[in-house]
Amino acid sequence: MKLFDWRWFVVSSAMVATLAASAETRPQYGGVLHVAMRAAPASLDPSDSTQPDSFARRSLTMLMFDTLVTTDQSGRVQPSLATAWQASPGSQRWQFRIRRGVKFHDETTLTAEIAAASLRAANPPWNVVADADSVVIDSSDPNLLAELALPRNAIVKRTSDSTPSGTGPFHIVEWQPGKKLALAGEENCWRGRPFLDAVEIEMGKSYRDQMTALELGKADLVEVAPEQAHRLSQEGGRLLSSTPVELLALLFPRDAASPDEKLLREALALSVERGSIRSVLLQGAGQPTASILPNWMSGYEFVFPTGAELQRAHQKREQVPSKPTWTLGYDGNDPLARLLAERITLNGKDAGLSLQPTTAASTELRLIKIPLASSDPWVALVDVAALIGLRPAKNQGGVEDLYACEVALLATQRLIPLFRLPVSYASSSSLKNWALRPDGSWALADAWLGDARP
Amino acid sequence: MSFRRKLLAVFALTVFLSVGAVSWLVLALTRNAFEKTEDQRTAALVTHFQREFSRRGEDVARQVEAIAASDAVNRMATALHGTSSDTTADSAEYFELAKSMAETHQLDFLEFLDGHGTIISSAQWPAKFGYADTAFESLSPLRGQSAFLKREELQDSTALGLFAVQAIGESEHAVYVSGGRRLDKNFLSRLDLPADMRVLLYQNRSDHFSPESLLDPFATGNGDDAARPADKFAPLIEAVRQHNQETTGIVAWSSDPADEEVFHAIPLRGAGKSNDDPLLAILLVGNSRRSYVELKRRIRASALLVGGGGIILAILLSSWAAGRVTRPVEQLARAAQNVASGHWDTRVEIHGSDEVAQLAESFNRMTGELLAQRERLVQTERVAAWRELARRLAHELRNPLFPLQLTVENLMRARTHSPEQFDEVFRESATTLLAEISNLKSVIGCFSEFSKMPHPQLQRLQVNEILRGVVKLFQAQLQAPGREPIGCKLELDENLGTIAADPDLLHRALSNLVLNAMDAMPKGGTLTLRTRRDDGKVMIEVADTGSGLTSEECERIFTPYYTSKQYGTGLGLAIVQSVVSDHGGRISVRSEPGRGTTLVIELSENLEALQKLPAAQNPGDNAGQFSG
Repeated sequence: MKLFDWRWFVVSSAMVATLAASAETRPQYGGVLHVAMRAAPASLDPSDSTQPDSFARRSLTMLMFDTLVTTDQSGRVQPSLATAWQASPGSQRWQFRIRRGVKFHDETTLTAEIAAASLRAANPPWNVVADADSVVIDSSDPNLLAELALPRNAIVKRTSDSTPSGTGPFHIVEWQPGKKLALAGEENCWRGRPFLDAVEIEMGKSYRDQMTALELGKADLVEVAPEQAHRLSQEGGRLLSSTPVELLALLFPRDAASPDEKLLREALALSVERGSIRSVLLQGAGQPTASILPNWMSGYEFVFPTGAELQRAHQKREQVPSKPTWTLGYDGNDPLARLLAERITLNGKDAGLSLQPTTAASTELRLIKIPLASSDPWVALVDVAALIGLRPAKNQGGVEDLYACEVALLATQRLIPLFRLPVSYASSSSLKNWALRPDGSWALADAWLGDARP
Repeated sequence: MSFRRKLLAVFALTVFLSVGAVSWLVLALTRNAFEKTEDQRTAALVTHFQREFSRRGEDVARQVEAIAASDAVNRMATALHGTSSDTTADSAEYFELAKSMAETHQLDFLEFLDGHGTIISSAQWPAKFGYADTAFESLSPLRGQSAFLKREELQDSTALGLFAVQAIGESEHAVYVSGGRRLDKNFLSRLDLPADMRVLLYQNRSDHFSPESLLDPFATGNGDDAARPADKFAPLIEAVRQHNQETTGIVAWSSDPADEEVFHAIPLRGAGKSNDDPLLAILLVGNSRRSYVELKRRIRASALLVGGGGIILAILLSSWAAGRVTRPVEQLARAAQNVASGHWDTRVEIHGSDEVAQLAESFNRMTGELLAQRERLVQTERVAAWRELARRLAHELRNPLFPLQLTVENLMRARTHSPEQFDEVFRESATTLLAEISNLKSVIGCFSEFSKMPHPQLQRLQVNEILRGVVKLFQAQLQAPGREPIGCKLELDENLGTIAADPDLLHRALSNLVLNAMDAMPKGGTLTLRTRRDDGKVMIEVADTGSGLTSEECERIFTPYYTSKQYGTGLGLAIVQSVVSDHGGRISVRSEPGRGTTLVIELSENLEALQKLPAAQNPGDNAGQFSG
């Protein structure tokens, strides 16, 4: 008698394994995603210019709102709330056809009038009107599409109680400004219901607290400090880093008052040892830079030297008879910022400059992080220029113009680029199928929670 | 001051000085003993602190040794061994090692240095990686040795710390571990010190004393610290700097000595600890003098209490003793006063047989003798008075009796021999007899008047008015025909006021004086009546410009029955003196032969005597009765 048929055993085992693997990779509905972040925005309105731009804010915006157009991983513009668009000859007038059947979270139907009103509120100088089922924008900006893809231009319907309502995959359930945001999946989202039932976001958490929450299972998605990314990666953590989309730089809030001050600023720029700072303080993260735009965006970053030239710095310093002491401001809540400020102070001292690190708000120069607004170089450059209060030359379309514009910006000695940093996030093993957009924000519309296995 | 008080003062002073001297001696001896004990206590405390300080240093050295022996540091040393091209890049992964190890081993300072002194990792100044430690040359020889003091340069300041150094490996491939604990308020406050003791640290950063460099772990940061300004330490700090050695001084925080603290200033030097090494800090080991001062105060209070009690007791006992000693003397003094005031029969009691008792016995014997002598004298004077009275009576009576005898004999003779002339002789003799009898009656009247001097009936009167009345009475006689005219001059003080006197007696006395003055100027002259105030008393002067009196006459002029006149009874001035004496006054004579005599009556106002009189007897102010 034949008691055991090995053939049937092998076949059935193969089928069970296949089904198990299929269950692991197949999206699952339900679950609450817990997210922690350092930023603590006081407003959810994408167009609120009083709130600083951050990757976290972009991420939140794109959970609740949609833009007319969006960009894919390659930077190409894709339809979103606008299904099609066309520009008049000379690109002076743009017409965007609004997607039909889209409803806001308060059940209001998206109309061209609401979209036009939202864009006008976000960009007062723009001439935006509704024309039947289209939004018409009079603009000569060749980067209008990239501009419209920015989260700050998301379409918002402002209700009477000033709570913004969007068309995104999640709607607001609870909002404690600066502390907590609870979102629920939108059943009637025009893109389909998200897999997650809800997302709860804790705000104002330090990197250390976020990592602790992740390790304790209290958070599924947390931010990771740049200098910790390498260590976390080595320790086998689930880490996702963007391309270097954040610029770490020294910003002088005002123009140089004299040629002497310009020389001193040049001396400071030449004194910073970017290499050792990257190796030690950033633990290999990021890229030293002396330009505003990254090479993958502009193609000419390499022409800006990043190495410290202490001798030249000394020479420039010695041309100035006076020896002012500059206060160097940094974010007191960011331990890395403090170390960077202290190191820059030491480098400056080597060049004969006197710097005083401080967490005070009003300082002669500040160590800042600038999230690049877009993968479009002109949009990114214009955004940085606006941040430091300058108006760049008009976009002529060529890379030469871009280079000239950036050189002109740097020549003002208002900004000393130091490093280009990636944005890194760590996630629990249960969070599946989440992704990073080119602008560094996370996309959770297609994410889902599975078993806690890698 | 009475004898008793003097004696009491002497006794009290003697006791006071004795008790004071003993108290001072006790205080001085006690203070010396306590100061010696306090010095020994302070020295013990300083020794205790130095042991504690050394113990902390040993603890730091142990921690650094443990770090140097740890696996993590040895792995780092091994990994960095031979990687000399780019130390910074190679050591990047150890950037936070110093900080984590410092936290684990509770160190404030921790640096890992390579064999060239380049900082691999720094806990106190993380950003300084890749830079050379400027103190490396002096640190490397100290590896493995005991803890030492070092001034550590920080981002924006400097800090003092107790450091120890260890090395892993040899020469330029070695990794040095330099760790320490900050010598700050926390370090000082964690020292296990006895009560009443505190430790401050002065960080010697500049050439001059700076209050900001003083670390006081007990400073609260509020207004209470204002009571203990850091400037108070300046002299002590400067003394340590100047003499380069340990110094002790007292810091007074207020006027209350109990707030004082004794500070033992200990210079802290760098690694070498020799006097040539820089003075990094000065430790101030303070010890409150409160307990000592309060103990001293208690002793002083006790001494004062005992001394004061002793003095009071001494005063009481001295008072009792002085009273006991002086009581017989006081009795003697009072007895002497009684004797002086005329009570010659005064006697004192005799207690015991000491010198005072002998004195009292002598006193009694003396008063007895005086009494006997007075009796004898009175008897003698009485006899003399009677003799004088008899002589005067004999003289006064003999003068009229002799003419009486002659007249009667003449009558008898005329009856016998010339009966025809008898009637005529009888008439003449009768006239003579009547005249002489009248003369006798006058003499007897005078004696009778003298014997019947009444007691003064005091009234408020004005002396000037009395004098004017007298002058008016005698005005006619002064200018009487048949005698040389006598001028009368009144020099009266119109502000004389009133006195209490008997107007009749005073009038009679003054009249007697005026009569005497007129008798003294048979050839005429000037009678001057004068009144004035002298030392609160009323002075009445009656002056003549007669022949004056000799000094012998002046002495006897008030003796009864003495007269310098041919027909005087010698009672006029005696009556005046009696009147003046009854008024509580006195009379004196001032005379110069050939230039006249002045009799001066001195009377007190005596107005209080009027108030003592019963209302019915007080005649009131009737001075006006003489105004006319």
